[in-house]
Amino acid sequence: MDNNRTFLSRRDMLAGAGAGIALSTLAPGSARAASVSPFTIVINQSPWFDSFRKTVELYEKETGNKVELDVNPFAGSLEKQRNSVRAAKGQYDLLIMNSGWFAEMYFGGFVEAISDIDPGFKLDPDVYSLGETIYFDPVKKTMTKNGKLMSMPISPLIPLLYYRGDLYKEAGLKAPETFAELEANARRFNNPPRMYGIVQRGARGPHTVAYDFYPYLYGFGGSIFKDQSAGDYSVMLNDEKGRAALDYYLRLAREAGHPKTASLDQAEVIQNMVTGKAAHTMIVIAAWSQMDDPAKSAVVDKVEFAPTPHVQGVPTAPGLGHWLGGIARNVPDDRKRAAVEFLRWFQTKDAQVAAAKFGAIPINAAAYRDPISQERQFRWMKPLAESLPHAVNIYQFPEASEVIAILELGLNRAVAGEITSVDALNTMADQIETVMAKYNYNTGKLPPLR
Amino acid sequence: MASRSLAIPAPDVAPRHATRSAKSGHDRHGDDRTWRWVTFGPALALMLALSVLPLANLLVTSFYDVTWAQGQAVWSPVGLAHYLALPGDELFRAGLRNTLIFAIGAVGGQMVIGFALALLCSRVAHGRVVYRTIFILPILIPGIVVGAIWKLMLNYDFGLINQAIGLIGLDPRDWLGANETALASVIVVDIWHWTPFCFLLFLAGIESLPQDVYEAARVDGAKAWQELVYITLPMMWPAILVTFAFRLVLAFKVFDEVYLLTSGGPGTATEVVSFTLYQRFFTEDRVGYGAAMSVAVIFIVSLLLVLALTTRRRSEASA
Repeated sequence: MDNNRTFLSRRDMLAGAGAGIALSTLAPGSARAASVSPFTIVINQSPWFDSFRKTVELYEKETGNKVELDVNPFAGSLEKQRNSVRAAKGQYDLLIMNSGWFAEMYFGGFVEAISDIDPGFKLDPDVYSLGETIYFDPVKKTMTKNGKLMSMPISPLIPLLYYRGDLYKEAGLKAPETFAELEANARRFNNPPRMYGIVQRGARGPHTVAYDFYPYLYGFGGSIFKDQSAGDYSVMLNDEKGRAALDYYLRLAREAGHPKTASLDQAEVIQNMVTGKAAHTMIVIAAWSQMDDPAKSAVVDKVEFAPTPHVQGVPTAPGLGHWLGGIARNVPDDRKRAAVEFLRWFQTKDAQVAAAKFGAIPINAAAYRDPISQERQFRWMKPLAESLPHAVNIYQFPEASEVIAILELGLNRAVAGEITSVDALNTMADQIETVMAKYNYNTGKLPPLR
Repeated sequence: MASRSLAIPAPDVAPRHATRSAKSGHDRHGDDRTWRWVTFGPALALMLALSVLPLANLLVTSFYDVTWAQGQAVWSPVGLAHYLALPGDELFRAGLRNTLIFAIGAVGGQMVIGFALALLCSRVAHGRVVYRTIFILPILIPGIVVGAIWKLMLNYDFGLINQAIGLIGLDPRDWLGANETALASVIVVDIWHWTPFCFLLFLAGIESLPQDVYEAARVDGAKAWQELVYITLPMMWPAILVTFAFRLVLAFKVFDEVYLLTSGGPGTATEVVSFTLYQRFFTEDRVGYGAAMSVAVIFIVSLLLVLALTTRRRSEASA
């Protein structure tokens, strides 16, 4: 014991504590991150989950913080999130939300703005805003940059065109940019049952054929609604562009596609591609690693990637099927701050380059400029970087699942040949308009196609 | 008989004694009633809490729309609107139609095959345990594994069934993706999965039948088919009806096979009510409408059960 030690007065102690708090607030992210509480992430078991798990482990290693992962099937994750955020006290701190339900979380007031939890939080300018879906204005109920920062991209999934580069090289072709080029090339390689020109995902599911159809619809310049950001939900699905898109989709399926497109889901589409039975497909980029996995694929190093085709004068228009990380409103403040610290680290270029090496799809544009993107195995990065700025946020309202259910049924019936494209578009447009009117959106519909 | 016993003159007993006796009987009656409530009450309360209250809650919810704002539930009364919307719901209509077809087809197949297997197994002298084990294997497999097995078996490009029919020169078929075969394929999977249930119940019933009746019939020269038609089937009738009722109710609740194999498609070819309910209630989060649909489905299943039990009572009465 040192008898000469100086005893601090109460005022000195308070001043010291205040200085400590102030210093900890001003310290760099990694230094602060070392002292945050453990927190829980609720996430789905997707093909990209393993890369996310490894990224989280890297965060734990670098910072010493503890993160618990609650891993679930796709639908199970949604139910767990709903149950948690609707309770008085939430069980999960960071919610990994799919493009199909993040609007429900925003509109319902279930996630708290990152900028409200930590007003000093700076979004890395290279992070993709993915159709501005990371922002939300709770007053205007719109997703624009004027809103608050509500979430962080976790996996920026969009579809790309997968095509057989080896066959293209033999035939002296270049990657198709327009739908006309895609159709010509698909017809050229179509030789069923040995090879299908293109394999599409036409089955009815939770978000299956509709998701497959978006790049066609928007790539033809069509849309489901007139202008969601401006609050105009007039249904435009059954205009001439919609008809051209659906006719094209059906023609590809019938004349250059798989004979049973109406029953193919993502697993079957990937199966066809990795077994060498498909010349083209348009699926989410998350499937890239399966193409080069020698244990799963007969076409290792033969598949190339390109932005989804479009018509002249319209940019590539992949529909967002992304995942966002939002912080639950009903969890303790220390856990909210812990989640913010994780997101602050996760958004950096270094973390995203590391994530890419683990097999993830980076959310930061700087990672796509890193030398890693020149490596053969990451050949999908360049077309993905070209596509992401054009990604379309298909739904900006919480009742989207009702509209998706309508599209799934109508499109699947058209693909199966039960109804014509015109009947399908008119019926779907009618039903969507009814749904939007029921929820008091500013809506309307076009005269039926003939 | 009753009127004769009523005609017996009352014993000539003293009124005071009778009064005292009646009073003590009344007390006893009161004590019994109290005791009954004390013992029966907790069970009744538990039953109310576990079954009646959730159903009442479902019923109440069916008259509301439930939305969320600022993290709070907003309940808006809609009267009978959800019930009135049910007949106009394309998926619900298709679901009811397909569920009826599914229930009749699947349960019919399971009953016939299960009964035949039970008869065969009951007559096997050696290796009965082995046969029983083999026959009940499908029912031991979890639904999710059954879905995986049959999704692979019925795959158009790589499925075992298409490869098998290819060996005899037939073209591959899209079993789960074609309108004409999708529901039939799901029915076949359900028959494969649930026939062991019927088999076990029927086997237990057949093995408990009195053998002396069969011996007497054989002495009278009855043939095997006569034993089946005139002895086995009539004596098994109550077991057949109970099994049918059980399976019918379970078949009406089919979900996992449709969810895993077809998601209701192509179009609405395999849409069943449980799947529609799942979509409306859980996927679309339409709690009030989903509750109304649930109440309607519970009503229909209860009706089927009452019909089956009434038929059983009538057949027992006529026997």
